[in-house]
Amino acid sequence: MTAVRMHNVTKRYGNFTALDDVSISLEDNRIHGLLGRNGAGKTTIMSILTGQGFQTSGTVEVFGEAPYENDHTLRKVCFIKESQKYPDNFTPRHAFAAARLLYPGWDQPFADQLIAEFALPLKRRIKKLSRGQLSAIGVIIGLAARAPLTFFDEPYLGLDAVARQVFYDRLLADYAENPRTIVLSTHLIDEVSDLIEHVVLIDQGKVLLDEDSDLLRSRAVTVTGPVSAVEEFAKGHRELHREQLGGFLRVTLENVHTGQSPNGLEFEPVSLQELVVRTTQQAAGGRELVGATNGNGEKS
Amino acid sequence: MSRVWKVVRIQLVNAPTVLGIPLLVLAIAFLTNLAVFGVIGDAAEPHGRITGGLMSVYITLLVSYIMTMTQVFTFALGLSVTRRTFYAATSLLIVAQAIGYGILLYLMLLLERATGGWGMELKFFAIPFMVNDNPLLQLVIYTVPFLFLSFIGVYIGIVYKRWGQPGVYTLTIGTAAVAAILGIVATWQQWWPAIGGFFADQSPMSLFAGYPFVLAVILAGLGFLTLRRATP
Repeated sequence: MTAVRMHNVTKRYGNFTALDDVSISLEDNRIHGLLGRNGAGKTTIMSILTGQGFQTSGTVEVFGEAPYENDHTLRKVCFIKESQKYPDNFTPRHAFAAARLLYPGWDQPFADQLIAEFALPLKRRIKKLSRGQLSAIGVIIGLAARAPLTFFDEPYLGLDAVARQVFYDRLLADYAENPRTIVLSTHLIDEVSDLIEHVVLIDQGKVLLDEDSDLLRSRAVTVTGPVSAVEEFAKGHRELHREQLGGFLRVTLENVHTGQSPNGLEFEPVSLQELVVRTTQQAAGGRELVGATNGNGEKS
Repeated sequence: MSRVWKVVRIQLVNAPTVLGIPLLVLAIAFLTNLAVFGVIGDAAEPHGRITGGLMSVYITLLVSYIMTMTQVFTFALGLSVTRRTFYAATSLLIVAQAIGYGILLYLMLLLERATGGWGMELKFFAIPFMVNDNPLLQLVIYTVPFLFLSFIGVYIGIVYKRWGQPGVYTLTIGTAAVAAILGIVATWQQWWPAIGGFFADQSPMSLFAGYPFVLAVILAGLGFLTLRRATP
C-alpha cells in the first residue's frame, strides 16, 4: 500500500521555485531516506505532506486523503523537525504530556526509557536546554508516538555520536516490533545507510533519484585500472565521477554488469553517500553545461 | 475525548502559569492600590478614591493570547493539530476564562461593597461607569471585555504568524492611521460634541458588553479566515 503520494507538486515562494513538479510515492511500512543538500526542498515536501505548508499546484495524498486541515489523517502523522518550537514556559514534561494526549499510539513506558537513555532533564525549561537535549525531545516524541507515518527532519542536531547511535538502534528495534512508515531526512547518509530501504534524492526542487537502496547500491560501481583499459570499459556507460592519478584512472559508472569484467580492472561497490554526492554533482554539472550551450550554441 | 478538548488540555498543560499569571498581575495591581490609598489616607476625597488598576488583568489576557498564537499554535501544529481544531480550542478557552474571571471580579465587587471599599471607600472593582445593579448584567459587563481583548490578542498573533513582523507593523500603523484620520475629520467637521453625546447616552451595558461583543465576534471570524493560510 502507498502511504504517501505527491503528484506534480510545485511550490513557489514569489519568484523562487522550491519544488518543481515533484511526483513521488512512498510505500507504507518501510524506512525511506529523503536526501538532498541544504535548501533542496526536503523540509518543504514534509511540511506540505503534514498539512503545515501549502503547494502552489499539484495534489498530495497521505493514506489516501488530502492532509490539509484533515484531523482524521493527521492524527496518524508525526513530523519531528529540527526547527520545532516549544512555548517559552514549557518543560519537556509538558511537551510529552501534550504528545501523549494527541497520539493514540503513544507508549509511555517506551518514552520513559528513552528519557532515561538520553538523560533528559524533565523539569528544566525547554528554553534553557542544550541543542542536543532539544533534539532529544523531538526524537523521543517521534519514537514513542508510534505514528503510522513519522517524519524525522534532521532530528540529530547537537546530539553526540553515542546519542545518535541510541536513536538509530531504538528506531530500528522499535520499527521491527511496530512496523510503520518512517521518513528520515538527513545529511549523515553514511550513518543511516543501513537503515534506509528506499531513497528519494532531491536537488533544487527536483527529484534526482527515487529507488530502493539495494538497487541503488548495485547500480553504480567504481572501476580502477590503467587509463586505456578503463576508458575502453567505460564506453557506453553513464559516468558519475572521474579521478586520474598518473597512469591510473578511477571512474564511477552507472548500470554496470560486472559479469563482463575484463582483466586488469578493479571493481568496488559505491557507498550510498558517495552515490548521492556524485549524482547531485552530476546534476549540477549538467545544469552548467546547459547554461554554457545556451551561450554559444555548442557544448564546450 | 474529542480532539478539541485535547487541545484545550494542552493549552492548560501548565495551567498554574496560564491561569495564574493574569490573577497574579491583578493581585499586584490591587495590593499596590490598597497600599497607595492606605498611605495617602484622607488626602483623596472619598468620591475620588477610584482606580483603573482593574485594566491590568484585561491587558494581561491580551498579551497572553498573542503568545498563545505565536508559541502554542506553532507547537500544536508541529504535533499534527489542524488549524481549525486549534482555533476551536482557543475560542473555547477564551470564553471559559472570560466567564471565570468575570465571576471572580463580581465576587470581589461584592466583597468590596461588603467591606465598605476595603475599609477606605476605595473603588477598585466597582468602577463607577462599569457598575450595574443587576448581578447577571454586572457579570456580563465584566466578562465581555475579556472576550474582546483576548480576541484582539489572538488576531495580532495570527497576523504575526501569517505575515510576520511587517504584517503586525502594517496592522498597528494602519489602525493608528485610520484612527488619526477619523480624529482629524471629526475635528474638522466639528463632530466631537456629537460623539461625546453619543457615548454619554450609552448605558454601561452597551459600552462594555454590546459593542465589544459584536467586535469580538467579528474579530473571531476574521481571525479564523486569516489563520487558514497561516504557517506554523
